[in-house]
Amino acid sequence: MKLRLMLVGAGLLLVYGCAVQSVEPWQRDLLSEEHMQLVPDGVTNGLDEHIYFSKEASSGGQGVGGGGCGCN
Amino acid sequence: MMRTTLIFTLAMVGYALAGQAPRFSIITDNGQVSSDSLLGKVIYLDFWASWCEPCRESFPWMNDLHETYADSGLVVIAVNLDRDRAKVEKFLAKTPAGFTIGYDPQGEFAKSFGVKGMPSTYLIDRHGQLVMSHVGFREKDKEELRTQIETALHSH
Amino acid sequence: MQLNSSLRGRLRSATCALLAVTAGTTTAANFHSKWTVEGASLLYAESKRTTVFEPLLVIKRDFGEGQTLEGKFVFDAMTGASPTGAAATNRVQTFTTPSGQRHQTSSGEVPTRSFQDQRGSVDLSWLKPLNRRFRTELGGHVSAETDYRSTGLTATLAADFNQKLTTISLGGGMNSDRIDPVGGVPEGLTRVDPRSTVEKTLSKHIADGMLGVTQILTPRWLAQVNYSYADENGYLTEPYKMISLIDSITGETRTGDYLYEKRPDHRVRQSVYFSSAYHLASDVFHVSYRNYWDDWGVRSHTVDLKYDLEVSDKVYLEPHWRGYYQRGADFYVYSLPRGALTPEFATSDYRFGDLKTLTVGCKIGVKTAELQEFSARIEYMQQSGNEYPEEAIGVQRNYSMFPPLDILILQVGYAIGLP
Repeated sequence: MKLRLMLVGAGLLLVYGCAVQSVEPWQRDLLSEEHMQLVPDGVTNGLDEHIYFSKEASSGGQGVGGGGCGCN
Repeated sequence: MMRTTLIFTLAMVGYALAGQAPRFSIITDNGQVSSDSLLGKVIYLDFWASWCEPCRESFPWMNDLHETYADSGLVVIAVNLDRDRAKVEKFLAKTPAGFTIGYDPQGEFAKSFGVKGMPSTYLIDRHGQLVMSHVGFREKDKEELRTQIETALHSH
Repeated sequence: MQLNSSLRGRLRSATCALLAVTAGTTTAANFHSKWTVEGASLLYAESKRTTVFEPLLVIKRDFGEGQTLEGKFVFDAMTGASPTGAAATNRVQTFTTPSGQRHQTSSGEVPTRSFQDQRGSVDLSWLKPLNRRFRTELGGHVSAETDYRSTGLTATLAADFNQKLTTISLGGGMNSDRIDPVGGVPEGLTRVDPRSTVEKTLSKHIADGMLGVTQILTPRWLAQVNYSYADENGYLTEPYKMISLIDSITGETRTGDYLYEKRPDHRVRQSVYFSSAYHLASDVFHVSYRNYWDDWGVRSHTVDLKYDLEVSDKVYLEPHWRGYYQRGADFYVYSLPRGALTPEFATSDYRFGDLKTLTVGCKIGVKTAELQEFSARIEYMQQSGNEYPEEAIGVQRNYSMFPPLDILILQVGYAIGLP
């Protein structure tokens, strides 16, 4: 459990504290591209999550909710 | 006495908030344009980029402003912040502008104005005073913006 | 068990300063059009086991200023054979299905049961900005198949800070499932006998929450960390699955020597998830990692890599690799020795054992018109586990306890933006 919390802490540090530079509003051109979304294809992501949920004992991580099915 | 003091205080606060807009000189399609040369005109200064969706939506509106108020003394300058000029050409080919386009690829001009979001709009009156700053472009903002422009145009 | 819908997509806010947020379920492609319609079809085929055909349709309406409403309609047709949990042994095994049919499994083969089912689901999602800093997303879900119904609601709140460089998301969901097993509900860890089942409707309730932080690190780099927590309550067992009873010396299974499986009626699941997108000269590299753990003893690591290669301004290729490494549940058993003390909980469902799933694939996207895109994807997956575990006894050592499973996935899709 302690290792997990350290993992979360490290992650937050990396993600926030480590913000390498302040990015101006006009410097967000690359970030605005379609492929820079963290999930570039929602349809494929949804289909894949359904597959892995049916074949593995883990689920979730990206968001909340979703529906159940009798496949596991 | 109280009322006079209040009005005076509000005027001072108003002046402090508005204040003098930075003097500038930027490259446009029509050559170098300086704020000094524009004194006496009302300037609608807009910061935009080709990849910014609300910026694209604001172009027809800015075209409309230019057509309606240019004769009354409104100068619309849309300062582009793209680093790649080719993207700007492509954008303007699809969404043409009747108003002046300025170029600030390094973002220095935007920085001097303290641009906080895209698009950012500033209204400078005939005396070079900054009378309005606005971030974003929404349908409901149009009314307010138009009022501010007309007020600035009617003042001397 | 829950499928999690992702919170993703980009918010086209009127200020446009913020990109790639966590709350904004634009499942459909991001065209800047009033309507977006996207259709896709997936074919999932396991070698010698299950096949699934899954067409879907997503319709999104953009009301402007960041407000969108989206409906997703999915249909699954499933057919094939799925392992029952019983182990391979050195003779023919005979089973009676819940519907009364008898079928046999050859010597040395892992027993499976054939099935056929259809499932339909509808998801609605409404995204609404509250003010310049906050936005909210509300979602609803309904799905049904022959013996299973699920309904759920989700709500998420996202807030931007630091000139929208940082976004914090908080989400919660509630789900309620109804299970009506064909052939009735058996008593867990009792001898398998179709006559012993009771016609009953069961339920399962899930509450889950997520806290996430998304941060723009550089003009090219975006990252996210999420922590998720889920609490499941109710009937969490698989009514159709069983465990073989074996002789403690020879490892053989006698005729009819099987027990129904039994899982606890409560489960707490947690995970930490990292995701990153990095823009190179013209390509984008995506990495994500999930660390998962629950109170059933399941632990897993999931690594996902995607590379968006810009072939031209109209075509892109996306090679993909995913590695999943699972340490199984505490109560997972390959089989139970006859005569030994029956444990409190036990399952032989191979999905709860130690296993690993490796996926490689590639996707192609073609911009066929200004607001239209065609995409196709092929993936090869292999799931493998402990084929010859040390727990195998006697004759079991002669057979593969977890034959590797090969899976092929094919998908095609088309998205259109309509003004």
